[in-house]
Amino acid sequence: MRALYLEFVRFFVSLRLTVGLLALSALLVLFATLDQVHLGIWAVQEKWFRSFIVLHELKGFPVPVFPGGYFIGGLLLINLVAAHLKRFALTWKKAGIQLVHGGLILLLLGELLTGLLQEEYQLRLDEGQTRNYSESWRFNELAVVDDTNATTDIVTAIPEQLLTDLGNELQVPALPFRVVPRAYYPNASLMLKENVPAGRPVVDNPATAGLGARLAITPLPITYQQDQRNLPAALVELFGPEGSLGTYLVSTMLTEPQRFSYAGREWTLALRFRRAYKPYALTLIDFSHDRYAGTEIPKNFSSRVRLTTPDGRDDREVLIYMNNPLRYDGLTFYQAGFDNNDKTTVLQVVHNPSWLIPYISCLLMTLGLLWQFGAHLLGFSRKRAAA
Amino acid sequence: MRRPLSVFLSASLSVLALSGCRREEIQTYTVKKEPAATPVASAPVAPNADAAMRNTAVTTAEGPGLNWTTPAHWKPGPEKAMRKATFLIPGVNGAPGAELAVTAFPGDVGGPLANVNRWRGQLSLPPLAEGDLTAALNHLDVGPLHLDYVELAAAGSPPARRVLGALVPHAGATWFFKLDGPDAVVAQEKPAFLAFLQSLRPAN
Repeated sequence: MRALYLEFVRFFVSLRLTVGLLALSALLVLFATLDQVHLGIWAVQEKWFRSFIVLHELKGFPVPVFPGGYFIGGLLLINLVAAHLKRFALTWKKAGIQLVHGGLILLLLGELLTGLLQEEYQLRLDEGQTRNYSESWRFNELAVVDDTNATTDIVTAIPEQLLTDLGNELQVPALPFRVVPRAYYPNASLMLKENVPAGRPVVDNPATAGLGARLAITPLPITYQQDQRNLPAALVELFGPEGSLGTYLVSTMLTEPQRFSYAGREWTLALRFRRAYKPYALTLIDFSHDRYAGTEIPKNFSSRVRLTTPDGRDDREVLIYMNNPLRYDGLTFYQAGFDNNDKTTVLQVVHNPSWLIPYISCLLMTLGLLWQFGAHLLGFSRKRAAA
Repeated sequence: MRRPLSVFLSASLSVLALSGCRREEIQTYTVKKEPAATPVASAPVAPNADAAMRNTAVTTAEGPGLNWTTPAHWKPGPEKAMRKATFLIPGVNGAPGAELAVTAFPGDVGGPLANVNRWRGQLSLPPLAEGDLTAALNHLDVGPLHLDYVELAAAGSPPARRVLGALVPHAGATWFFKLDGPDAVVAQEKPAFLAFLQSLRPAN
């Protein structure tokens, strides 16, 4: 038993493991970069780096082909910390090495935390428009809204992921009916049935209620391009105690929610870009797209926004421009784009509680390297002076 | 040193194993209602929206669409998910040009007053009172269509901007044609815009 334990420890503290893992990391980066040609950056991050095992589809079946980023990074982290715990010695001579390794450990931890905690949303504002939520660029949700009250909405947001589990009854205390996903298309185009040209492939549409009954569904291949997004569609059947209330076709392509009445209340149903509500609101006062005089070459993009909180604690104007984001309430609002003939701004909203970690770790590593090389240089020059 | 090491090793292996399990959950919350819909660009652009969508009335308004004829110098703009069509009108000598955005939404989308005031707001103009709306709107009868258009100019805020906006009720939906751009370009394009409005016809 003890021999096994020693073997276990020896494996995790060995330098050979470090070298092996570093070599695997280099290969991982190489393969992921090559795969980016087909998948785009988001899918590559999920497939190669934010996974334990890289699964590659061969003839429709996922086959494990390489250890993923979490696996390699995780083992590297364990290896580094274990080696330090085993061989740690508090001496000035080794302080530089320890700082460098400490920085590296922090860097790996930071990436793990970023992968787990970071969320990226976007906030689109027309000039004069106020919003207190941002929308996901990559994730969607089925919003079932109790619209009865004149001033407030009771929103039940069902993540898109749950719609892929066909036949699974989703029961939520806030809803007097159950929601059952019947079909799910990760990317699909919709058209009025009467407008479908001959030869356009369509799938069976069992929608019985709402606008969906008039639409034809054409599934599209999933896009991985960075500047494109998938527009999913789903068929959901609603069930009350008395039986089916109808099957609705929902899609992020349909921008107007579908309405119905049930149990004396008014409801809306929509598949929409996932929303993250904030306890404050932003109003776009003005978007500026400055160009160099006489040319179409952009010089600066900036958004003058007004930040307000309902309690009046904050009510101020902020200018957001390139490299000058607004940091507020744990979120960072970057100027990301514009639209609508320069009258709509697109802000990227990033939640990353661990954003400072890479800076701290780089600082630690710099100090460690300076210490280490400085000490060597000092020793060398002393020796030289003595000789 | 041996004990903390073994504790560390087993703890980190368990963390590694657990960190892969994340399940998304259904949430219920109460929010204040959003103010009246702002039709243009109120959702992230979906660049891969099927090209066919541009010519159908599905995404934003039900029912049949409209046909039109554009002047030759109006160039079709990039497809956008919320738009039926976009046309770009170049400025003179590389100066910024104007853009015609075509959108359509079910119902009356708040009515002419709300929409005219929305456009006024975008030009930093004060809202109109209901009594002043009739004077601001110009009425046109184009075939079976009865439409109103409005001309708005914001001279104060450089560069001066001008908007020509038409509201076309058709088959239970409202179509919006908004020509927006530098004051001089839009003013110059007004005859072309009016000719364009005269060319509107129900699609079927």
